[in-house]
Amino acid sequence: MTRFGRTGQLTRLNFRRDRFRILMWLILLAALMASVAWKFEGIYGTPSEINAIKGTLASPGIVAMFGAFSFTGKVTTAEIFANEMLLFMALIQVVMNIALSIHATRAEEDLGITELVRAHAVGTLSPLAAATCELVVVNGALGILYSVGLSAANMPGASTEGNWLIGLGLAATGLLFGILGLLTAQLADHSASATGLAYTLFGISYLARMITDVQHPKLTWWSPLGWVEKLAPYNNPHWSPIWLSLGLAVILLVLAFMANNRRDLGAGALTTRPGRRQASAFLRGPATLIWRRQRNVIIAWIIAVIIFGVAYGTVFNTIGDILKTNPTMQQVFGAAMVHEANHKILLSFTSLLSIVMAAVAVIPGMQLILKVHSDETRGWLEALYARPLSRTHLLFSYVGTAFVTSTLAFIGGLGGIVVMGDASLTHVKDGISASEFWQGVAAQLPEIWVFLGLAVLLVGCWPRLKSLSWAYLALGFISVYMGSLLKLPDWVQNVTPTGWMPRVPLHDVNWTTFSWMVVLAIALVIIGWQGYRRRDLHMS
Amino acid sequence: MTNPVLQINHLQKKFGHFQALKDITFEVRPGEVFGFIGPNGAGKSTTIRVLLGIIRASGGTATIFGQNVWSDSVAIHQRLAYVPGDVYLWPNLTGGEIIDLLLKMNGTAHSAKTDDLIKQFGLDPTKKARTYSKGNRQKVALIAAFSQDADFYIFDEPTSGLDPLNERIFQDAVMDLKAHGKAVLLSSHILSEVERMCDRIGIIREGQIIETGSLAEMRHLTRTMVTVTLGDDFDVTTLPNVHGVTPGHAPHEWQFSVEDEHLNTVMSTLAQHQVVALQSTPPTLEDLFMHYYTGKE
Repeated sequence: MTRFGRTGQLTRLNFRRDRFRILMWLILLAALMASVAWKFEGIYGTPSEINAIKGTLASPGIVAMFGAFSFTGKVTTAEIFANEMLLFMALIQVVMNIALSIHATRAEEDLGITELVRAHAVGTLSPLAAATCELVVVNGALGILYSVGLSAANMPGASTEGNWLIGLGLAATGLLFGILGLLTAQLADHSASATGLAYTLFGISYLARMITDVQHPKLTWWSPLGWVEKLAPYNNPHWSPIWLSLGLAVILLVLAFMANNRRDLGAGALTTRPGRRQASAFLRGPATLIWRRQRNVIIAWIIAVIIFGVAYGTVFNTIGDILKTNPTMQQVFGAAMVHEANHKILLSFTSLLSIVMAAVAVIPGMQLILKVHSDETRGWLEALYARPLSRTHLLFSYVGTAFVTSTLAFIGGLGGIVVMGDASLTHVKDGISASEFWQGVAAQLPEIWVFLGLAVLLVGCWPRLKSLSWAYLALGFISVYMGSLLKLPDWVQNVTPTGWMPRVPLHDVNWTTFSWMVVLAIALVIIGWQGYRRRDLHMS
Repeated sequence: MTNPVLQINHLQKKFGHFQALKDITFEVRPGEVFGFIGPNGAGKSTTIRVLLGIIRASGGTATIFGQNVWSDSVAIHQRLAYVPGDVYLWPNLTGGEIIDLLLKMNGTAHSAKTDDLIKQFGLDPTKKARTYSKGNRQKVALIAAFSQDADFYIFDEPTSGLDPLNERIFQDAVMDLKAHGKAVLLSSHILSEVERMCDRIGIIREGQIIETGSLAEMRHLTRTMVTVTLGDDFDVTTLPNVHGVTPGHAPHEWQFSVEDEHLNTVMSTLAQHQVVALQSTPPTLEDLFMHYYTGKE
């Protein structure tokens, strides 16, 4: 039996196991890409529409979020499309790939399934090879769907080469990060740590691309995530980013196989260390237990969000200095007017980013709340409920930790933007004032709480539907990230709480909206709590 | 007579259309070890989860210390210790941390007894729970339960992952609880363990308790196996009230089974045929179990 024996059979098994999640991702992503392309001529069809958005896309705030693209000559609808969609779709595809790759390797190993499989006449490297095949097929299929969808949409200015470049370019980027996930799955010794490692590397690539895009777009070649931007599919097609992605993917894959070949089943290079003989005095109940279990994740999230804020803050001096682009302005309007204009630009930039930051800050809190149910099905709560511990006490330990985590993460992230941003400015008074900062905080917190409240409701009353809370958050995130650029109708932006509050600190906080959103969040938590007290727990 | 610690009356539980528990009735008294036996899927763990207030009964009543298991679960759990059949532990905590945490949640603390138990069971408390085998995870739960000063102990197949040495430590610890007047509910597949430790036994099948009583009482319900060697050519098959008669290996040797009520008459008949050797085996719990589940002895 070779080291790769029965890889084909395992690959088929993987597809059977993951068929729903793969199908869901394929349909969702392909439909998103195709429908945006389909609508795009209606949004940016005329030269005046294109010129207006061209200016917006060149502004540093948008460059930070969507990447730097250069336009030459007559700009077409397709070029605008590529600018707005490439990086965004790449981000979603990376998330999909990391999830799929860890799920197919280290998560199976944690569950003991790999052990069961390897006890049969199956090659030692076959599970990893099967996971690789799965990723290649999924990304390849997605790339082809994208290209076919783009060809069908037939945007003005689109070319066949460009369509295929987008499809295959995204497939290559997705595959690259999927294989990165396969490698981290070999290095770490359990799936949570493998996922964390993969996301750390992904985050570093994102930050590197964001900072270089704003300051020196040429340096973006150094970030694997920046390569999709360099495809320039409809104005200056390059195939080299695809070869770079595939080349790096092959190198990572070889490393993954080497690591897999050398290690024992269940072991990793980063091993779990022994710990305390006795519990610290601090560890004494459900709330401190959650902290003890999740502190690394919670701290990592808060730090990551702050780093993102700081990274965005570093571009304040580029954005918030109108004189850099328009040196004659001071002579014409006077210094006061210039400072006012700078201030307005920064307010608008901060307002946009604070909504994105809020959506990101919801994630760790939502994870914690959904743990109420996943810990239940894993049997971890059985030991707790055999103690004198009420449902209320346990639920609110999770929920309280979640609310505090998300709230702190958001304040930290927005604080990072503002503190770093103000520090980078030559004229501090152009920057965001303390009161504007706290307005921004007040505007977004109710939205964060409503999302978390919804998660509590689902976990309490309909735990099987808990993944709906992710879908709802994703919808909210997409509608703010892409809403104005895609000119989505108002009702789409108002479906989720991300659209309910006006943009603050650009506008003032609407305290009526603030109040009823807080009341709504509390009501959701209370209903979820009552449901949780009454329902049966599901034990494995 | 003292009040029972646990009292279950006609307990029922439905999951959708599936009736997991049809009719469960039994009680456990102080100073008593109650064996709860039955095949997989018969409803043992479901019953225990109802008792813990993790799931809600759809009919009947269950009380522990005279309090309702669902609405008063927090008060009950103050004086209760539980070891589940499959022990799931938080993977990134050490065994030592988990034991202490579980104890603190009952308002007790790590004591000399805890250290003693850790030593007896041979557990390394500094390892992360992720790296423990099934047996070691069970030890964590057992150490936490035995260190606790409870009045009622529930063990759900607690020794399925333990080696024989640790199994013996477990049995000694349970006998010690009994000597201190504690009540114990022991659900187990290991019938020899139940036979050795339990005062009374309840047998559950398809969500129903089909028999409760002491082992001695139950033995009366089945037959004793007898092996006899006679001095003459008497044909045992002609005897009334004996079952499953087979000739043995040696000449004049016979094996058969007989109900306890007919034992006396059968023996006096055999005595007239010069009994050379006689061996009688009371039914083991395993025989009883088979008797209830397959209808054969």
